[in-house]
Amino acid sequence: MKRGTFVLPGSTRTALLVIGTVGFGTLGVGLALSPARAWSAYLINAFYFLAMAMGALTLIALLYVAKAGWGVVIKRVAEGVAGYLPWAAGSMLLVLAGVHHLYSWSGAHGHDDPILKAKSAYLNVPGFAGRMVVILALWLLFAGALRRRSLAQDADGKVTHTTSSVAISAGFLIVFALSGSVASFDWIMSLGPHWQSTIFGWYNLTGMLVAGLAAVLVFAIGLKRLGALPELNVCHIHDLTKLLFGMTTFWAYLWVSQYLLIWYANIPEETAYYLDRFDGGYKMLFWIVPIVGWLVPFLLLLPRAAKRSESHVLRVCAVVLVGRWIDVYVMVAPQTMPEHAGIGLFEAGGFVGFACLFVLAVSGALMRTPLLAKRDPYWVESVHHHGT
Amino acid sequence: MSARVFVGWFDDEHALLRATTAAREDGLAIVDVFTPFAVHGIDEAMGLRRSRLPIICFCAGATGLAFGIFLQVYASAVSWPLNVGGKPFNSMPAFLPVIFELTVLCAALITVAALLIRTRLFPRIRAPKNLLARVTDDRFALVLSPASDTWNEKKAVAICDREGALSTTYEEVES
Repeated sequence: MKRGTFVLPGSTRTALLVIGTVGFGTLGVGLALSPARAWSAYLINAFYFLAMAMGALTLIALLYVAKAGWGVVIKRVAEGVAGYLPWAAGSMLLVLAGVHHLYSWSGAHGHDDPILKAKSAYLNVPGFAGRMVVILALWLLFAGALRRRSLAQDADGKVTHTTSSVAISAGFLIVFALSGSVASFDWIMSLGPHWQSTIFGWYNLTGMLVAGLAAVLVFAIGLKRLGALPELNVCHIHDLTKLLFGMTTFWAYLWVSQYLLIWYANIPEETAYYLDRFDGGYKMLFWIVPIVGWLVPFLLLLPRAAKRSESHVLRVCAVVLVGRWIDVYVMVAPQTMPEHAGIGLFEAGGFVGFACLFVLAVSGALMRTPLLAKRDPYWVESVHHHGT
Repeated sequence: MSARVFVGWFDDEHALLRATTAAREDGLAIVDVFTPFAVHGIDEAMGLRRSRLPIICFCAGATGLAFGIFLQVYASAVSWPLNVGGKPFNSMPAFLPVIFELTVLCAALITVAALLIRTRLFPRIRAPKNLLARVTDDRFALVLSPASDTWNEKKAVAICDREGALSTTYEEVES
């Protein structure tokens, strides 16, 4: 493949379209046959892939705010992963069609429940929909503003695009910390509307950053292997993997923080969340989450050489991404299908469908622009990046 | 005790890097390289081995982890069992924060201590008095040892001249 450009072969594109259609078709059949289960599978996968796009956008913002020179080589890759965001926003908006199947507070029996009645000023369908539209619109605005400046710089090479991107990124990080928390409260935590955890937002924001870093690493290494991104050197991979290593550990810290406080206090309305995950066959999956999401990547990434080996990093990213999926599953499924755990055709179909859509959208974003942001003021510094 | 060293003076880090690489490849003994700022690639040019501090850090962390587990299991479950909130005496979740803190504390303190001991930077150590002038300002110094078996003055001067040294001198330094 030519340096600096990425082309998705037509045959791959067709294959992705066919497989994706089959995946979404399976999910569509599920929506007709068993709507509650299929909507849960839909939400899990829609949120899972949205997390990668938002994680990538957060990475871009962090690099700008830190005025990090080294990251410019992977800027277009992160922008590509964030390029899935419009699709992610659309897929989240579709959740509104299944709101009565997913969220017990939206249904008729919500009105008999004194706790839900007290919460109805916040947990109601118009409010939920309004907040969702505002949050997604905010994210798309910030993503668009950063992307436009990045591309405009390719044309005119002005440094002002970078300085204004720094300011926009700082604003985004503040807005995202708040709106991302609200989003995870609304979309995920309110599946069990009696329960609340103030750390839940942080927990999900960190999970998004972990997923985004893993996705950016996979695409960056993939592009390097195709010959499209030869500028990506071992130090870039090392630094990105250090971030992944640190963020999985921070995510585990938040996992423990949430669990520990609830375990310690032992108050019935709080422990209910964990009891739901110890019943109905979820217990094993529940304990797999911190093992696959943190312990395995932690041990696998501890040595320096491990963080500098492309193929090893790819394998660890795969482990991390599996861990992210199980984490989202364990947050959603015990609420939407409390009787029995199961990862079946609908979950698999939803995953395959969204995965194909994600790859197509990211490839599209990568193809549309040059992969090398050569007129970024930090470009030369980034190409010569050398860490220890 | 003082020693006589050979110094090649440079005003450009690229020239310094080339000269250092050449000196190492020609088998000249490099005492040290002094630069006013961090120069990327100088470690490789000097042929420095990677620091072994991470190994010490890992062992110290593992020690802290083991000590954290032992301390709490022994105190809470063996020596003086106390019923706290009806939890089992041996409650790993409650021990986690202390285990984590002790792991980090031991790893950090022991690593810093090991670094200071290894680099002989502990208090009251005699600091060398006549440091090379200008290496904290605008000069780069490649310091070679004339006392080594492989010393060859002609070669050292030739390398420095070829790579664009400003001058070459002999200096007396305390070691």
